[in-house]
Amino acid sequence: MLLWRQFTMEWKLYLRDRGATFWTFAFPVIMLLGFGFIFRGGTGPATTLVWITRTAAAPSDQALEQALAQTPVKVLRLSPEEASARWAKGETAAQLESAPNGHHLRVNSYLMAQGQTAAQIVQQANLVAQAKAQGLNPELIPVSLESPGGRVAPNYAAFLLPGLLGLNLLSIGLFSVGMVNVAYREKGKFRRLGVTPLPKWIFLLGQVLQRLTVSLVQSIILLATGRFALGIHNQGSYPEFFLVVIIGTGAFMAMGFALSSLANTVEGYGAISNLVFFPMMLLSGVYFTLDAAPVWIQKAVMALPLSPYIKALRGIFNDGAHLSNYLPGLGLVLIWGILCFGIAVKRFRWT
Amino acid sequence: MIDLALRVRGIRKQYPKVLAVAGVDLEVRRGEVFGLLGPNGAGKTTTLEMIEGLTPADAGEIEILGLDWKHHGREIRSLIGVQLQSTSLFNKITPREALDLYGAYYPTRRSAQELLELVQLTDKADAYHTTLSGGQQQRLALALALVNDPELVFLDEPTTGLDPQARRSLWGVVRGMKAEGRTVILTTHYMEEAEALCDRLAIMDHGVILSEGSPTELIAQLGLPSIVELTFEGPAPDSVSFSAHLGLPVDARGERWEIPTADPKSALPAILGAAETCAVPFCQIHVRRATLEDVFLHRTGRSLRE
Repeated sequence: MLLWRQFTMEWKLYLRDRGATFWTFAFPVIMLLGFGFIFRGGTGPATTLVWITRTAAAPSDQALEQALAQTPVKVLRLSPEEASARWAKGETAAQLESAPNGHHLRVNSYLMAQGQTAAQIVQQANLVAQAKAQGLNPELIPVSLESPGGRVAPNYAAFLLPGLLGLNLLSIGLFSVGMVNVAYREKGKFRRLGVTPLPKWIFLLGQVLQRLTVSLVQSIILLATGRFALGIHNQGSYPEFFLVVIIGTGAFMAMGFALSSLANTVEGYGAISNLVFFPMMLLSGVYFTLDAAPVWIQKAVMALPLSPYIKALRGIFNDGAHLSNYLPGLGLVLIWGILCFGIAVKRFRWT
Repeated sequence: MIDLALRVRGIRKQYPKVLAVAGVDLEVRRGEVFGLLGPNGAGKTTTLEMIEGLTPADAGEIEILGLDWKHHGREIRSLIGVQLQSTSLFNKITPREALDLYGAYYPTRRSAQELLELVQLTDKADAYHTTLSGGQQQRLALALALVNDPELVFLDEPTTGLDPQARRSLWGVVRGMKAEGRTVILTTHYMEEAEALCDRLAIMDHGVILSEGSPTELIAQLGLPSIVELTFEGPAPDSVSFSAHLGLPVDARGERWEIPTADPKSALPAILGAAETCAVPFCQIHVRRATLEDVFLHRTGRSLRE
């Protein structure tokens, strides 16, 4: 059967490009291992506070140090010279300077998210230290890092894995599939096919199916790495997880194909795909909350496919939820995929 | 009507900055080898690509083997074989795989082995496409054009970039196609190729067809079957006063003058006399039969390779 032939040939040619094959599979694994080792323990990213040491230590300093030891902030004691050198290099997110009449905090304007968090924790620790000095025994409210399904993971990387996979599959669809297609067309690699009776949809579907199986292999490698190297376990059902992977990958690849029909050059495609990729990533509400955005943006964003896709991946993987909880969202992803594939077939050109 | 392999009426193609094809009519009979002869940029490739269905024509009609693109696209594609001017395949496909894969797209197909033998690529059958030389890639492209046992074959500059020996062997393949009853339409800017292969040809320049016929007809149409050539050491001098004295047009071309004539027997003494009078410092003189190159020169005022 022609589709099968096309599919197996795509795989054959794909595997012969060893460099590309290796990096496709290695990249998400490296990312996951990187995060896994950086964020060992279940607390998520910690911030470092630079504390400038002064010659005459006040007793209150010791109390503050004790209070800070119970927070996720890592304290780095530096001499005034070392501290100002580090600050000037822009590596310090927050810096604490103690003077006889009190403390002063500096927060790096470029590392505001981490700096502000560290600063607030220092404020609290300082209040605790002061209260203790007055003979009180204040208690910090305990904080735990949990998924929406109420799960606490021993390794923070567990929370990253599904999002990492999802984002990686989106970028494969937009960048590797779409861009490669534009590049091939620009180099005239499709022209010879254009004078054969090969139907466009078989050619496109062959590519989609091949990349789909690539992404399945990629997911399996990533899951296996998480499990055996970091002890991260899938809480839900594997078939359901992979089904979601397939639906999402197919949709994003179709999106890549559809976008590739809009560009004539690789450069042009780069601009178009970034125009789609970044808003989708930033506005999906997956990595940042959109509470501050206008309501119409929040509503418009609900129609984008990335958010329901990542939600389903995370829900199944981290909370052991069932696929059935995500049907409307996955339906939306599926509709995007079918529409994009239709556009891709209709607009695909050999030259 | 039925014996026409191709009928083209008034096809045009306007590119943003240039009118590539400005209304071309063609009729090619079944079983014939037909050539489109013209310099680079004449519009040959665009004409061919419109006929092959690769580039949409802005206007005009195209009928291939009695079928039109609008209603019978797939059918036409399965009956024609195409060698593009440059065939870019996937880097890591081998000739054998390419022939098997492309063969699978057609209802009828020839075996990869047979085609590899035909174009003498058996020893490179399993090498990656990127490792083939230009000539080998060209031969693979030719084999791909035959993979569906086509009735009508299009070859776009099939011998460009080939060494003389490879060119001769490709001519043999084209003659073989004709012997098998296929219709062949090819483009070339080599007049000796057109003369050697084509039953009929059309001379094309600036997007239009200037004249059409068999090579001998075209040369006969010129009415000046002989050319007297005077060769100089170094660039030829200005020919205006000599031409006026002689009373015949003279084309100065690089290191020689060319004087077309219908009657070399009487022209030769006149030329020698005029050369004597004007003290023309030529070093050689000879008379030759007119070729397609001269036909082209006469029609366009410029040479094919310019």
